[in-house]
Amino acid sequence: MDLKLDHYTEDDTEIVVVEGEIDVYTAPRLRELLIDLVNKGNFHLVVNMEKVEFLDSTGLGVLVGGLKRVRAHDGTLDLVCTQERILKIFRITGLTKVFGIYESVREAIDKRKSK
Amino acid sequence: MDTRKTGHEPPDPPEAGAALIREPDEPVDVLLIEDDPQDAFLVEEFLGETALSANITWVETLAAARRHLPTFRGCVLLDLNLPDASGMELLREVLTSAGNAAVVVLTGLDDEHEGVAAVAAGAQDYLVKGQVDGSLLARSLRYSVERQRSDENARQLRDAELHARENMRLERGLLPQLLLDRSPLAPRSFYRPGRKRALVGGDFFDAVDKDGTTHVIIGDVSGHGPDEAALGVHLRIAWRALVMGGVAEEQLLPTLEEILVSERTQEEMYATLCQISLDKGSEAPRIRLFGHPPPLVLTHEVTEVRAVPRPPLGMFPEPEAEVECFHFPRGATLMLYTDGLVDAYDGGDGTERLGVTGLARIVGGVLAAGVPVGELPERLVNEAEQHNGGPLQDDVAMLLVTHGE
Repeated sequence: MDLKLDHYTEDDTEIVVVEGEIDVYTAPRLRELLIDLVNKGNFHLVVNMEKVEFLDSTGLGVLVGGLKRVRAHDGTLDLVCTQERILKIFRITGLTKVFGIYESVREAIDKRKSK
Repeated sequence: MDTRKTGHEPPDPPEAGAALIREPDEPVDVLLIEDDPQDAFLVEEFLGETALSANITWVETLAAARRHLPTFRGCVLLDLNLPDASGMELLREVLTSAGNAAVVVLTGLDDEHEGVAAVAAGAQDYLVKGQVDGSLLARSLRYSVERQRSDENARQLRDAELHARENMRLERGLLPQLLLDRSPLAPRSFYRPGRKRALVGGDFFDAVDKDGTTHVIIGDVSGHGPDEAALGVHLRIAWRALVMGGVAEEQLLPTLEEILVSERTQEEMYATLCQISLDKGSEAPRIRLFGHPPPLVLTHEVTEVRAVPRPPLGMFPEPEAEVECFHFPRGATLMLYTDGLVDAYDGGDGTERLGVTGLARIVGGVLAAGVPVGELPERLVNEAEQHNGGPLQDDVAMLLVTHGE
């Protein structure tokens, strides 16, 4: 299973759509995309993980790296995820408190704007 | 025989002598670098007389040769006197650029010493113009190509050996002798490298008994590669030094986190970690869980230790929160492990992973079948491989400690 990446702008937010497996082999592509988006001045990111089938430790590192990067610009990186098996990974690694995790892109954007 | 592999496995050792068992009429590619048309004509004539079938590409200058050299795999027949380069400097460039080719040097009658020097510098052979005939030329070409191939095989074998030694060194650093002589805990450790790995990962564990308290740690540096494995060694040794040096228990992991942040080569690197601290005479060890899958307590049943996880070490350093305890009765075994086990596929359609729940289920099944705890790690890996439908992708490290009576 490979990794598919897509992104679009919605409501001043850059939405990154990830599909497939984020592992040691595919994570570098996600890292490049996140770095590229931040370098182009997008500091509010939402990563849509609804079609992610697997996330390993390298993938987590890339998401955390992205979060640190946007925070350096007072930005945000939120996740959209309702899949139990992916949520479990964030719970085990204690990262549910670190990332905003939402059920839809709309909810993620609204929550950020209401802060 | 092409022993190079794509992917992440180390090269298999080449079969001895395989390069020599070849069809004698297999064509040889020859790149002739020669500015004298008459000499070039002679080479073609000579080779035409022999049984050797040669595909000759002729260029007159080094400049013209340069675009062939990097991908060329055959025999370069090189005149050491070209209009745009000559001598040892020319030879060195050709040897460097055509790393996969054999090089045979052509010298004049008066510069035979150059031929000897050329062989010393890495050419496979030299031929003196005017003293060459077809059979000598053909033999030299054939021999040079074969020798180049066997050199290449020997080099790959040497690389594979170096690689294996490097892995052994790292493994020794990551997986030490445990210091539990005076502890009520009896350890049993296990490590198996993953399938897709050329180098060991950053899994590590350790256990030290200090002033009546036994501290046990298992950890995993994120990512795979030499930097991660080296960082795993740093962390393991730093942790042991902190414990043996008498640093207060609540200061161990915050200090280790500072060390991780200062030693890591990339901002993104982090480590998941589980530390257990058991006072002598107690059945309630303290657990600190940093993004690591929770250990299992094995009694007549299998229980997942419930503890609130904090983010992995190196992500978002924060002061230590309240520490949790769990029940670990005498006679029970505590099983610590890294995520190579829980990331295995759980059979079926190849999308579900075992997870901690699946692992606990397998452990329960193996123990119920009467397998003693001492044999548990090997049996578990076998079971996990069966569920996975083949060898596990990631490294597996396990540390089992049994609480003595």
